[in-house]
Amino acid sequence: MSERTAIEISGLNKWFDDFHVLKDISLTILEKEIIVVCGPSGSGKSTLIRCINHLEKHQEGSISIFGEKLENDKKSADIIRTNVGMLFQNFNLFPHLTVLENCTLGPIWLSKIPEVKAIEQSIVLLDRVGIADLAAKYPGQISGGQKQRVAIARALAMEPKIMLFDEPTSALDPEMIKEVLDVMIDLAESGMTMICVTHEMQFAQQVADRVIFMAEGEIVEIGPPEQVLKNPKWDRTSQFLEHILSH
Amino acid sequence: MGNQSISKPELLEFIPKPSRLPAVPVDGFIGRLKKHLFSNIWNTLLTVSVFTLLFMLIKPFLDWAIFDAVWSASNRRECLNASPDGACWPGVIQWFNGLIYGRYPNDQQWRINLGFGLGILWLVPLAFKRVEQKILIALSAITLFPFLANFLFLGGSDNQFNYIVACVGLAYLLILYINIGLIYLDRKILGEYLEPLIGRFYQRRAALLGRLLCWLTVTVLLAFLFQNLTLLLVEVDSWGGLFLTLIISGFSIVMALPIGILLALGRRSHMPVFRWLSICTIELVRSVPLITVLFMSVTMLPLFFPNTMELNKLVQVLVAVCVFAGAYMAETVRGGLQGIPPGQFEAAKSVGLGYWYTMAFIILPQALRAMIPNIVTSFISLFKDTTLVSIIGLFDIMLMARNISIDKNWLGLHTEPLIAISILFFIFCYSMSQYSHRLEKKLKNK
Ligand SMILES: Nc1ncnc2c1ncn2[C@@H]1O[C@H](COP(=O)(O)OP(=O)(O)OP(=O)(O)O)[C@@H](O)[C@H]1O
Ligand SMILES: [Mg+2]
Repeated sequence: MSERTAIEISGLNKWFDDFHVLKDISLTILEKEIIVVCGPSGSGKSTLIRCINHLEKHQEGSISIFGEKLENDKKSADIIRTNVGMLFQNFNLFPHLTVLENCTLGPIWLSKIPEVKAIEQSIVLLDRVGIADLAAKYPGQISGGQKQRVAIARALAMEPKIMLFDEPTSALDPEMIKEVLDVMIDLAESGMTMICVTHEMQFAQQVADRVIFMAEGEIVEIGPPEQVLKNPKWDRTSQFLEHILSH
Repeated sequence: MGNQSISKPELLEFIPKPSRLPAVPVDGFIGRLKKHLFSNIWNTLLTVSVFTLLFMLIKPFLDWAIFDAVWSASNRRECLNASPDGACWPGVIQWFNGLIYGRYPNDQQWRINLGFGLGILWLVPLAFKRVEQKILIALSAITLFPFLANFLFLGGSDNQFNYIVACVGLAYLLILYINIGLIYLDRKILGEYLEPLIGRFYQRRAALLGRLLCWLTVTVLLAFLFQNLTLLLVEVDSWGGLFLTLIISGFSIVMALPIGILLALGRRSHMPVFRWLSICTIELVRSVPLITVLFMSVTMLPLFFPNTMELNKLVQVLVAVCVFAGAYMAETVRGGLQGIPPGQFEAAKSVGLGYWYTMAFIILPQALRAMIPNIVTSFISLFKDTTLVSIIGLFDIMLMARNISIDKNWLGLHTEPLIAISILFFIFCYSMSQYSHRLEKKLKNK
């Protein structure tokens, strides 16, 4: 882990109308750090990482990525585009494009890489997530686990330094969860900065540097996985952990 | 992930049912008839009675249109003398040329045929498997072909700009076909032969420049080749018939989609000026009949232009029909846009695509694909609606058909011309809808 700050969140507040979703969140994430976020449904986990990716706008506080503060302008969009990739629970692949085209679209049109080179790079990425042989298929023709791996390759094609995951495995059948988690572990080991909203506690224990527990829009617990998962300070955390571990 | 503590319900023993007999294949015409029409007594009865009814309805029509019809005569009187209860087709046959070409001079009609032939040639490559960048071909057809067509159809000698753009278009078409030949022979395409030459001076973009240079050369060659060609000027006033109908509907069909897309995007835009402009245009145009829009464009459009400028009627009509069709198309496109899940926008944004890229590569392709049946339906109704231009005095196919009945030889011949143009309309509309079915099927496989 290096000492450079990747994401700096301070005093973040967000409301949906008069519903206070995120309450005064402050958090500093270093480069190459792996953060796992968990917490009960509705606690604001998705909202938090969507704010980091600027899919949601916050009302108070600030978010900086590599020292650049996010505003509502073109420059922030560029910062996010070049630094942050995101994965969704329901994959959100582009159904009218082939797996390969899903991956090359960004590099060709945004990074202005020549088509031949973009294809080469994307094949390498697809190979890395283990599905190079599906390059010519359409998203409708592949399984959920494969879709999520395509989504990872698509995000990686933009060469992000930070990856955000919003419950990437919760729409998958158990046997497909592993294939996606393996790719994520591989990513984590390659030095990517990652924030994962997930309830896969084994994954958290294996790769997380810190685990965040959120409840009702607040970070109620933060620390190394052994501490948060084994000896939570807070009742709510242990109840929740018991609940997800038992089912 | 937990320990599986919940006990599973007892499994029922699986008892297979005896498998069914394989279906008896029914083959051939007789077999299929038997299966679908005469499978039991009620079905047989129903079939027989429906066919009798149909026969009773259609028989008189067939008698009139075919068996008692007159096929050769020189005026309506002769027809009536020969067979008072039959159709009188000679009038339609004599006027057929007029129905197709309007009052375009006979010895110049090859220009129309050539123009439409070139247009079809331009679109044929879209069906070839190995041709790439079909979007470019379609775009070139949309942007360049109108000039080429205008040059051919209008003629005249004082239109340099039109002549040059027509040559550019013709050159494109020529190169396109040569390249297709080369591709199927597995050779390099024309532009690539120039690539090494250009590469010596300018490394970057050598491929693109090679193509452009090739295009330019052919254009110049063509321009020299045809420099002495002067086509007789045929004023727009004498354009007519199916020819004019196809021009108006073709042009507005092509323009309706981009106008509709822009209006639909405007309507969803976050910028109030664009949103309100779009909403006003769409709602205003959609709440008045096409005839009104046509009359307004003929009477009101000249007010916006200086007195000295003489607008021709065709241009006014084209503007009116395009705006009208665009407003309807906007609502169709908006329906398609609403069907796109928000996740697609978010995914596009997280890849980093901006608004226009997102629309062009992600949202519109999906929205338009889902809307193909609706889009083609509006095309078909637009095609038929263009017959309204006869009301403001353009000699389209409808007005030509009605003209037959005031020809002194064929006075009062109303029905036959209408049937003739109905058949023509049916052919066009039916092929459009068949094409859309095929397109839908093809895209569904993806
Ligand atoms: N667009 C929105 N408008 C209004 N309220 C919203 C919106 N999105 C989320 N919320 C609310 O904000 C709260 C936090 O939502 P969020 O999706 O961040 O929860 P979460 O922790 O990700 O839950 P889950 O585990 O179910 O995904 C929820 O109560 C939700 O109802
Ligand atoms: Mg969530």
